[in-house]
Amino acid sequence: MSKKLTSTCFVRFDRDLCAGHGSCLRVCPTKAIRIKKKKAARIVEQCIGCGECIRICRERAVSAATEGPDILDKDQVAIALVSPVLYAQFPGVMPKDVLLGLHQMGFEHTIDMSYFLEMFQCATEEFIRRNQTSNQAPWPLISPICPIVVRLIAFKFPSLLPNVLPVLRPVALMAREVKRRLIPEYMEKGQEVVLYYINPCPTKKDPSCLPARQQSAPTEVALGINDIYPQLIKHVEQIKAADAIPFYQTRFEYETCATGNASMWGMSGGEIADMDIDRSLAVSGMEETIHYLEKIEMGLFQDIEYIEFRTCREGCLGGVLNAIDKYLAKSAVQRMIKRFGLGRRLHRENILRMYEKGDFQSEKDPSKLTSLFGARKEALSIDAMQEIEKVMQLIKGTDCTACGAPDCRTFAEDVVRGQATLKDCLFIGGQRKTNR
Amino acid sequence: MRAILLGLTEDADLPLVKVRLARLTAQSGNFKPMPQLKKSFHIKGRDFIRAGEASINVQNLLKSMDFDPRLIRRVAICGYESEMNVVMHGGDGTLSIEVDNDKLILEITDDGPGIEDIELAMQAGYSTANDDHREMGFGAGMGLPNMKKNSDQIQVESPPNDGTVVRMIFFIPDKGKSD
Repeated sequence: MSKKLTSTCFVRFDRDLCAGHGSCLRVCPTKAIRIKKKKAARIVEQCIGCGECIRICRERAVSAATEGPDILDKDQVAIALVSPVLYAQFPGVMPKDVLLGLHQMGFEHTIDMSYFLEMFQCATEEFIRRNQTSNQAPWPLISPICPIVVRLIAFKFPSLLPNVLPVLRPVALMAREVKRRLIPEYMEKGQEVVLYYINPCPTKKDPSCLPARQQSAPTEVALGINDIYPQLIKHVEQIKAADAIPFYQTRFEYETCATGNASMWGMSGGEIADMDIDRSLAVSGMEETIHYLEKIEMGLFQDIEYIEFRTCREGCLGGVLNAIDKYLAKSAVQRMIKRFGLGRRLHRENILRMYEKGDFQSEKDPSKLTSLFGARKEALSIDAMQEIEKVMQLIKGTDCTACGAPDCRTFAEDVVRGQATLKDCLFIGGQRKTNR
Repeated sequence: MRAILLGLTEDADLPLVKVRLARLTAQSGNFKPMPQLKKSFHIKGRDFIRAGEASINVQNLLKSMDFDPRLIRRVAICGYESEMNVVMHGGDGTLSIEVDNDKLILEITDDGPGIEDIELAMQAGYSTANDDHREMGFGAGMGLPNMKKNSDQIQVESPPNDGTVVRMIFFIPDKGKSD
């Protein structure tokens, strides 16, 4: 396997820890896992990075392809791009104190993503308002924030790609701002810059990011929240206990987070909670998301304007790389909202001016979206389909997974594609050795 | 694939395979390629919770093949609308999909009361749905018109008290031309 392929995958499997139970087989929404020789193996091109396999594995053999915090290098300028889900991991702590903790850990700059989420929200409202008359995109529009949802659509529901809201994702807005404003300064001084995305899930950096204008682009690294939590909590506890909080000079508004409600973005429904849209809907959970996408494909929900999908239950707070349980985090967020209320910090007029300039436009061409959000599978011909039907009649169809495929249909497909042999089937091969 | 199956027949120690293989060979006439692929799915009447499953199965089948997503979407919409018609009015039925080289045929049959006036039913807004259906958000009278809009050809046969057969044809656009 080439190095490039390994680096594009979102999860790693530890062969020594894997017991071959195969619980990951069934939860994979794109059926990208097989058990070969009693160990889980993945089909890299089909992985969309949802992390369901990490969640289900009892042996903890699956981990996200993120890096540890020990890679922080003194010689480099480390910039943390912080998902607001991080704030919810510290109940009762103000977001600015969490960012200060990160600063003390050695990050030169901390970028608060909720600032860009607000920007995105404003642009979305504007797009929807205009779409009511122009009908540029079909209803219902689907939130592009969760990259797993976009990949899932590209892989399983390509006919819904035109429904994906064509507004630049907050992560892309954030990365663009940092690359334009912050990085050139350091580059001129000859310093190396590393962008650390602090994520609640194994999605890595944003694939829809604009390509860097400068030739020497910064290195981009994904960090899981649970990777930095043990170190960060020490700093946060200190800051909480301290009488006088050390002053941290910030140059840009988005380097700190003054509002208490920023972490609401991580909640399911957080995106639409404060949005000025009449008919919107929030759906969370992998099964539920697939179920709703199927219905949209059949022509339902055309009376709804905007649907927020998150493949993790309870939204990003339920991401697999979080440090504390999603319900505890949710309760912490709700307490914060009760205390501080919902409020915006950006001026609508400024955003609208940016909107007019086309600053928020993202890729609309479905085929480009597919290539950006990867995950593909070769199509089958009619002949191959007939062969699959024949194999299906041969095998018993109990979905026992003994062959190492998640279900009989997938196994039949593998046989026709030449990736498995009929003998692997327990009902055909009898007592012969199976893959599990 | 044929080679895979033939390879297996040589395995003398697999009696189970032999039996099944013999049955299969008898069924499909010695592996002669069938003219097209056909699959049917059962629809249970009045089961609103599971309604839509048959068309989801059709969608999934088509998605594993190389069809234009827009075509699949049209088939999906027609499949769902017709499935809802069966669930609401028709009692039990089947949804079947036939894949041919140049067209897809979606056929839906049920053993319900049939349609009294097909021409009237084809009109947008005409509905025989009852209040219960409307409470669930169905019965806007857009079923058949929507199916007509999204398919290339539609045939409705409904002899009195002998169920209904709706046959929809979707032509597969020539790949070289459309791209």
